[in-house]
Amino acid sequence: MADVDNYVGQAILRREDDYLLRGQGRFIDDLPTPPDTLHLGFVLSPHAHARITAIETGAALALDGVVAVLRGDDLAELVQPIVAEIEFPGYHLHGRDVIAREKVRFVGEAVAVVVTQSAYLAQDAMELVEVEYEALPAAAILEHADQPGAPLVHEAIPNNTIFKGEFTTPDFEAAFDGAPHRLRERFRSGRVGGVPLEPRGCLALPEHGDNLVFYSSTQVPHLLRTALARFMGHSESRIRVIVPEVGGGFGTKAQIYPEEFITAALALRFRQPVKWIQDRREELLTNIQARDHIYDVEIAFDGQGIVQALRADITTNAGAYSTLPFGCTLETTGGARMIVGPYRITNYAYEARALATHTAPSGAYRGVAQPTCFMAIEGMMDRIARHLGLDPAAVRLANMVPTADLPWVNAVGVRYETGSYVESLQRAMQMIGYQDFRKGQPVDRLVEGKYRGIGIASFTEVSGTGAPGWRARGLARLPGFDSGIVRVEPTGKVTAYVSHANGGQGHYTTFAQVVADALGVEFDDVTIIEGDTAATPYGTNTFASRSAVTGGGALIRAASKVQEKMRRIAAHVLEAADEDIVIEAGRAHVAGVPEHGLSFMEIAETAYSMNNHSLPEGEEFGLEETDFYDPPLVTMANAVHIAQVAVDAEDGRVTFENYVVVHDCGRVINPMIVEGQIHGGAAQGIGEALMEEFVYDEGGQLQNATLLDYLLPTAEDVPLFQVKHIESPSTDTVGGFKGVGEGGLIGAVPAVLNAVADALAGLDININRKPLRPSLLGNLIREARMKP
Amino acid sequence: MSEKVEVTLTVNGRKRSGLAEPRMLLADFLRHELGLRGAHIGCEHGVCGACTILIEGRTARSCLHFAVAVDGAVIDTVEGMAGPDALHPIQEAFHRNHALQCGYCTSGFLLTTLEFLRRNPDPDEGAIRRALTNNLCRCTGYSNIVKAVADAAAAMREAE
Repeated sequence: MADVDNYVGQAILRREDDYLLRGQGRFIDDLPTPPDTLHLGFVLSPHAHARITAIETGAALALDGVVAVLRGDDLAELVQPIVAEIEFPGYHLHGRDVIAREKVRFVGEAVAVVVTQSAYLAQDAMELVEVEYEALPAAAILEHADQPGAPLVHEAIPNNTIFKGEFTTPDFEAAFDGAPHRLRERFRSGRVGGVPLEPRGCLALPEHGDNLVFYSSTQVPHLLRTALARFMGHSESRIRVIVPEVGGGFGTKAQIYPEEFITAALALRFRQPVKWIQDRREELLTNIQARDHIYDVEIAFDGQGIVQALRADITTNAGAYSTLPFGCTLETTGGARMIVGPYRITNYAYEARALATHTAPSGAYRGVAQPTCFMAIEGMMDRIARHLGLDPAAVRLANMVPTADLPWVNAVGVRYETGSYVESLQRAMQMIGYQDFRKGQPVDRLVEGKYRGIGIASFTEVSGTGAPGWRARGLARLPGFDSGIVRVEPTGKVTAYVSHANGGQGHYTTFAQVVADALGVEFDDVTIIEGDTAATPYGTNTFASRSAVTGGGALIRAASKVQEKMRRIAAHVLEAADEDIVIEAGRAHVAGVPEHGLSFMEIAETAYSMNNHSLPEGEEFGLEETDFYDPPLVTMANAVHIAQVAVDAEDGRVTFENYVVVHDCGRVINPMIVEGQIHGGAAQGIGEALMEEFVYDEGGQLQNATLLDYLLPTAEDVPLFQVKHIESPSTDTVGGFKGVGEGGLIGAVPAVLNAVADALAGLDININRKPLRPSLLGNLIREARMKP
Repeated sequence: MSEKVEVTLTVNGRKRSGLAEPRMLLADFLRHELGLRGAHIGCEHGVCGACTILIEGRTARSCLHFAVAVDGAVIDTVEGMAGPDALHPIQEAFHRNHALQCGYCTSGFLLTTLEFLRRNPDPDEGAIRRALTNNLCRCTGYSNIVKAVADAAAAMREAE
């Protein structure tokens, strides 16, 4: 690896912008389709729980242009039931038919698929399929799902408890019982989703008999290809997955969904191109959802606010089915493992369970578990401060793991290798003028008709999970590595292939920065290729804040191997020792003699046998290397968000007066892109804290399956974010990178809740749930003011 | 199924014709009949703004109009903003300010900004946010879009 960073650390403008700004990005529905393409439409269940008693397809089939109407039994001949094979004590495995066969288990589950000659015709045909149901009682509300007599989602899973796990540190009980102060709270988090602007979709093109080219708006092309092969019983080597431009994923497109199997299977079955584009209603009904959590937390502390012990009882909504590839316990175990955050909490116990309900399946959405577990622990830090009359920042600083104590292993065994917990909080407090705000803040918090408060979120961010990290959470079949191929072409230009899939994160720019520095070449000479399983090597792909860590690490390793080969070739041609060769700016030269050197093209021509130089003895042709990188358990980023808000005393609306973030994701590749990730995440976190929620009624009907009713933040709902970086490079990862994709969301949720709680502290209003809609806050304020 | 009818539009300064069922959405007509795929469909109920275009110079949701209903109209889409070489100053400002990530919503924001800056060439932050509030972006958190619009406004004023 080159010693000098020429490109890593620079705010280089993105390569992908030009074609996207011209409207030339080719997303899944923008791809050209052959004229004989068949279009799919899914008939969705209007019931949360029902037996399917009849499906009448005659009227639909009679329509001109309708090729077929298929039921669950028809698809079962083509695709096996999907099983997320989680190996975890206490986990109940269960399968999912790609189209429901006997019973439906959530509103929106597909009961039939129409195959037609146009997308408009599919809409007509769907309406003509008549399905008869025998409605059954549903278990749709998390609080009731494991109660005696609750309807079962899967007959073989008692009490709807798909998973239950527990843990305690050896001295927990004594520490808890011996502490002078204790507080308990129930935190309730509403259900939300990633809601990318582009819904899902896929296009399957059969080729040369039973070969399949499969385009999908996915984050996980390699995992998708393997899953298609396994569950369709089709040769993996005859499937090529290509990821077009992806219009946002946020984890929702890291799941592998039934429609992908069905589209692929029907293209092979009909030997024709098959296309399916999801609409927004389907997106809201059927994409994975997240965060429907209950945290019962008890915290024991001394008179200085130092935490002595923490107990967490965590219940999460799994939805109707475990999804591929993560199963349904990502948030269950993730929250249990990370709730201790940046604090020295050594006595800890948890019980955590995932309950099946008759609602859409749960899965990985940006932040996974961490927005809610930090809502709980950061909420408790503020409660300790209020209980003892201390400043919330001071309580946090007193409990944090000091930099001098790193590396630190937390109570459940997760290693924090480097970080800046204290420094980040102090820096954020300076940026926002925390002490001055506190000094000027009246006891009743009421300034000019608005309650004004400030809220802190200080947190750790799990990133770059390697195989050991997945195994610790029962994900036995999920790899941890990613991989890269770096090739110097005969003309000296560089092509790098990486196992990831770009969805707006700027990979074509940032990975080129990494490769350019690792190889010692100009940025403009490096091209990145990803998202095509026929071109790129295998990997775990793009989710969970892992691309920079795993892809960056793999590319550095591959580039370093290529550079060593170039060094040997240059030394041979220049008649110098290997160690005397310096490679920089696309040239290799003898140290101290810059004019005595070779360009990359001259070295490449030697490697490709295109000139009269010979290769060193035993050296093989070409300039191409592959390498893999599986990071350790995890690499731990950290950040602090501080939000300053005003709550309108009349209508309960929350507005932002200031918002600062100090973020530490180790070595920063491109600060502009890192800031963009934080802005976007923080806006999603503000949405989660203040407005977003899937509302299911007792019968399992989703009440808000449109974007008019499921509210996303607009430009008027979010502030200008001020972001500063601290860099504590990871000592555990190649390149020193840590992940950053999720931190913005994770921090915003607790920061906003704590800010609102602080603003309403004078009214003695307990903020322990989200979203904090104006209607909720307005009612709480009115009730509080009516109290004598 | 009703018969297809011919629809003729002036799109980005050129006459373009195609066949559309009476129920065909303008968004689908532009995208799939005329091959102008820069406007994207995000919700098909007029909320997200990803399909925003200009009809007779005013922003419109192309998912809320039928193609046959705007027969003869003058339409502007993102494809008409840049030349083969230079980007439009608004596009340049979006690039400079990292105002796009996945790019799916971007065309809608660009056309909303184009119309907005014609009406209000020197807007403050509040006015920019109000103008953008009908377009959803899930990636950027809007901060850089707001900055880009202000930056574009300044660049366009300077160029005049």
